[in-house]
Amino acid sequence: MRWRLFDWMLREEWRLNGQLFVGMLREEWRLQANLFGGVRFAAFPLFVLALGAGAVWLLTTTAVATIGTLVLGVHVLAFAFGLQTGTTAFLGQDAARNLLGDVTLLVFTARTLPVSQRRLLGVFLVKDAVYYSGLFMLPMALSFTPAITAGLLTLSDVALLWATATATFLLGVTVTFAGIAIGTRDVSGRIVALALGVGLAGAVVAGVDLVQYTPYGIYTGATVVETIVVLAAIPLLATFGIALYNPNYSKPARTAGDAGDAGDAGEAYGRWRDRLPFRDDAVTAKTLVDVSRSSGGLFKVVFSGTILLAVGVFLLELAGEIASVDPAPGVTLGAILALSAFTTYNWLTQFDDVDEYRLYPLDVGDVLRAKRRAFLLVSIPTGVAFYAVAIVWQFSTLGDALVGLVVHVGLQMYLFGVTTYLAGFSPNEFLFDTVLFAAFTLAVAVPVVPIVVAGFVVSAGTPSVLAAVAAGGVVLALAGGVLVRRATPKWERKTRT
Amino acid sequence: MVAISTSNLRKRYGDVTALADLSLSIEEGELFGALGPNGAGKTTTIEILTGQLQPDGGSASVLGHDPVAEPIETRRHVGILPEQESPPSFLTPREYFDFVGTLRDIPDEVVEERVATWTERLSYAEKLDTLSTDLSRGQQQKVMITQAFLHKPEVVFIDEPLANLDPIVQERVKEFLLSYRDDGNTIFISTHHIEVAEEVCSRVGIVSGGELIAERRPSELGANESLLDTFLENVGGPGATVEGLVGR
Repeated sequence: MRWRLFDWMLREEWRLNGQLFVGMLREEWRLQANLFGGVRFAAFPLFVLALGAGAVWLLTTTAVATIGTLVLGVHVLAFAFGLQTGTTAFLGQDAARNLLGDVTLLVFTARTLPVSQRRLLGVFLVKDAVYYSGLFMLPMALSFTPAITAGLLTLSDVALLWATATATFLLGVTVTFAGIAIGTRDVSGRIVALALGVGLAGAVVAGVDLVQYTPYGIYTGATVVETIVVLAAIPLLATFGIALYNPNYSKPARTAGDAGDAGDAGEAYGRWRDRLPFRDDAVTAKTLVDVSRSSGGLFKVVFSGTILLAVGVFLLELAGEIASVDPAPGVTLGAILALSAFTTYNWLTQFDDVDEYRLYPLDVGDVLRAKRRAFLLVSIPTGVAFYAVAIVWQFSTLGDALVGLVVHVGLQMYLFGVTTYLAGFSPNEFLFDTVLFAAFTLAVAVPVVPIVVAGFVVSAGTPSVLAAVAAGGVVLALAGGVLVRRATPKWERKTRT
Repeated sequence: MVAISTSNLRKRYGDVTALADLSLSIEEGELFGALGPNGAGKTTTIEILTGQLQPDGGSASVLGHDPVAEPIETRRHVGILPEQESPPSFLTPREYFDFVGTLRDIPDEVVEERVATWTERLSYAEKLDTLSTDLSRGQQQKVMITQAFLHKPEVVFIDEPLANLDPIVQERVKEFLLSYRDDGNTIFISTHHIEVAEEVCSRVGIVSGGELIAERRPSELGANESLLDTFLENVGGPGATVEGLVGR
């Protein structure tokens, strides 16, 4: 009798979990289909597959990158995507609202439904695993199919890649979740980061090959023990996070002083405004305060630049090794580092919505002008600073350095124009809207690919190519200006209808 | 003199008709209440009248400005309090008023003086230096009320004025709205709270299905009449009751 009761309860538990799982899966699909359009969103995995397969084919046949490098890249991307997904999902209702608009997700319904927060979080994690594994990691893995036909990989390699990329994504989600859960117990994020840093540094000093303790390590051939450790870490982190997460935690109210502003509380906005070279530009000042006070502050922008610098230098050295030709570092790095324009614009538009400015005597053109000013003040100086570090590091010649500078600034202005024209004030929408993403990819590839190729040619010492690249940089800046001008009436029309 | 007028205003969202030939006229110094059920078209009306949204047809005028052709000029002269809008998350209320003051060309010392009056009226002076994201809904509503009146506009559009406010502050806001109207200003309130409309509005327009279907002055209601009866009769038909409408 007791056993039958237990059995019944167990079945009821699983039935509820199943219902929640299906509900969350449906919710995730509808959310994204609603944001980006059903067909456009449904086509996104196919687009990822086509783009990935094209890139794998092109990069391997031209020997620009090896299969090993591309597989590593997929894992890095999956980890970053996992970290980002975890942040959005677990920071709470307000964070979700900031990114997605006015939404109420099932994972936040514990206060109104007779379901525990822990159960909701657990099911949410399983849903994420299934959803993103099928819709994103699978097409990314399948994009390596050209490598199978070329005899560089086997079908089982691709299947393993799918599994380890999914595991990497989940590792990212659970790391974020565990961190956020610790935060709900009033433990400072800095202390957690410090402890993590000390632990990792200790492991490196002790001679532990940390890469082998990641899902990527499994792909490259980890031992049984290493594989068990990696696979156990994901459910352990999830369980740790679920056990520790305090759904009733609320941060104490912060004042301007808490937000890291020196001096008198409440005056930071005024100081930003007074510092600006544009008279009384309230929206630019507000944009800068938004970025500086949000999580990570202005360091976010620096962080994006650091990543691109590392990627740029890595690619430059790799290309030099593979092609036996030293590319021109100025032109090549100028182009690669300019890609930070997109992430910086994303930060500058992340914390507001053009609709909220409709309360004041402002039109879309005024807001766009303010965003461009903020972009000029943040993105260009940061990009140029990283560029200066890069060319010193990579021993650029004066001519190459100057042309690279023109390319860098021109490309940043162009990317600003492309982004504002295509996505307006919501560049995040690029992520899952197939048509927008394809248009953006094309608009970026058209100038960037020839410039990077030219970077190889310049090393042969052809001043005419150098001059042509510099002229290209100027043309790009002008094209960016034209796109911004066209973006204004487009978004004015869209926001008022 | 007419402060706000619309003529045959029309707006559709796909298959949904938000406004169907809405015509109304509001005199200067009136406190007009647009009363209607959810989805009646009240918020759409405010968005068109403040130049936030373009209608599909018809015309509108606010203080002699066409909000469709001159949205910025219209917004320069009016105050807007939307139903669901929060102050910018990463600005404190004090900084936000500085921001609004800059956009509306109000001298700093005037902003300071008016903010002091409003924080005292709505009792939130101690929250002036707290980031807006960390304020409660009610406190955020107080900040939004202040910004709508900061430039002392001749016309103010308010969508659900008392949302999230405690009873004491609600009374203060009602008193203020009446005194603001008495100073000759025009206020357009959108609400679905009949008692609020009855208490503060000089004239109430009942909006349903995107049309103005009836108008009443609460001061002219007879001893046995109530705005609720008028509302039920016009929205639900003759003899309609709350129970009957709920049961439909």
